Amino acid sequence: MITSISILVDEATYDITPDGMKLRAMDPSRVAMVDFEWPKTVFDEYACDAPTKMCLNITELLKLLKRAGKDEAVELSLDEKTGRLQVTISGKYTRTFNMPTLEAAEEEVPTPKLAFNAKIKATTQGLREAIEDAALVSDHVRIEVDPEKLVLHATGDLMGANIELKKGSDALLDLEVKETVKATFSLSYLNEIIKTAAATSDIATLEFSTDMPIKLDFQQPKEGKLTFYLAPRIEVE
Amino acid sequence: MLGVDLKDLVPKTVVSLETLGGKSIAIDAYNALYQFLAIIRQPDGTPLKDSSGKITSHLSGLLYRTANLAEMGIKTVYVFDGAPPALKEVEIKRRMQIKEEATIKYEKALAEGKMEEARTYAQMTSRLKDYMAEDSKRLLNLMGIPWIQAPSEGEAQAAHLTKKGATNFCASQDYDSILFGAPLLIRNVTISGRRKLPGKPVYVEVVPEIVELDKTLKTLGITYEQLVDLGILIGTDYNPEGVKGIGPKTALKLIKEHGSLEKILETTLKDAKFPVEPQRIREVFLHPRVRDDYKLEWREPDIEGVVDFLCREKDFTEDRVRKALEKMTAGMKETKAKTTLEKWFG
Repeated sequence: MITSISILVDEATYDITPDGMKLRAMDPSRVAMVDFEWPKTVFDEYACDAPTKMCLNITELLKLLKRAGKDEAVELSLDEKTGRLQVTISGKYTRTFNMPTLEAAEEEVPTPKLAFNAKIKATTQGLREAIEDAALVSDHVRIEVDPEKLVLHATGDLMGANIELKKGSDALLDLEVKETVKATFSLSYLNEIIKTAAATSDIATLEFSTDMPIKLDFQQPKEGKLTFYLAPRIEVE
Repeated sequence: MLGVDLKDLVPKTVVSLETLGGKSIAIDAYNALYQFLAIIRQPDGTPLKDSSGKITSHLSGLLYRTANLAEMGIKTVYVFDGAPPALKEVEIKRRMQIKEEATIKYEKALAEGKMEEARTYAQMTSRLKDYMAEDSKRLLNLMGIPWIQAPSEGEAQAAHLTKKGATNFCASQDYDSILFGAPLLIRNVTISGRRKLPGKPVYVEVVPEIVELDKTLKTLGITYEQLVDLGILIGTDYNPEGVKGIGPKTALKLIKEHGSLEKILETTLKDAKFPVEPQRIREVFLHPRVRDDYKLEWREPDIEGVVDFLCREKDFTEDRVRKALEKMTAGMKETKAKTTLEKWFG
């Protein structure tokens, strides 16, 4: 999940409360946003006495976390006196890293105000493959949802692609459509988002409206939350 | 160094231009052209010239930098100086003198075969001639980039556009924009990249940085009017010397202690001398002459028109010019297609 955040931002501020930790961040070009929550139940152990904010260099944190093997335990602890985060990985052997925390951003990222007209539930893997298909021919894709199916249209300089996920197919688990919607998105963002989310999520819920941002919610093990918003592209030609 | 020396007092945030896609910047045109003239030179210090011997360094800088910004989705508007306020005479004379001295030193260094030195002095001789501004406006028209003729100081007009929300930022190397009330100033827009330090054979990476007026005032703990007074104490384009012995830190201390320039001049600095009345300088910053009858419109570049002008008349390389314009057009299309989430924050 840290990987998911790292595709959008280099630095991010975690909100840490006695109930868990959460984070909301927007990429520098303000096209995409990630909303992430880990309630304390996700952790084997969790202790926080008073709410605090912790801003970290996500890229650096990721480097440390990647050192942990599959069955190894990771412990994060913030020393409020020194302002450093301690990352302890134990299993085969024990190593303790420490890294600085940064000055937390003052501005809170608001939630986009959106009313959705279509909602689909699909396997993350199925979506990932469909997006990879589209990415072969273009850098953006038009997504259309009607009561029967989800269709991806991609038109590149030379090639085109049409990808259909029909209701009741293996990849498309559910479809609720108030009215047919169409919107175009950047494939590089979609691709990165779905690829990294697939690491922890099997099922995704996507919500759309015509020419509005898409909301992608990736079901997490236990009670974690990983949601993305992605702004659409407006077709000019 | 031109303009008021606030660099040690104001908080700056480094920014990458890529993140400014979709934003608009009012650029102090003379400031930018002057930079291009100083920087875009051959190793011995000779500026770029066309076959008739007319200088083209400014056009090269204007074309490639504007196209490059447009490619990143940044909309530019160039603001040209009108008549300088009468108060500026002292500064203008001072600059002319520097240039005359530099010209003599340049010729001497060149005659002695000292290339590095010659280049340094050549940069200091940069003069903006009328034809350069005319050439630049013609190129901007062909590129579909708006420009505004300011009634007086270009920086004041650029600050005015930003204050009114017509542009998101104003761009200049000088901090004077802040004294003119620009809420957001962005520096190093026109010269970012690897640059040689003036007078030294040393290269540095120049990165764009943002200066916020609000944040500056909060950090310093003074009002906007007090910041202008502080500027006058340190020295502005209208009183380049400032008050003798008063640096930025002392000026800030005095302003905080006494509240205003008048109070300081009545007490601590009774003998301070100014080339013109300090109140008149303050007036230029607080109420500069600006215009509101501008229209900002960005069009797609007239590629053939630019090629005709730059390649046929000014001897630019056609391939490079076309490539820059193609990238610019593609970037503008991309910007139109892109939306940001901010639109839905309500």
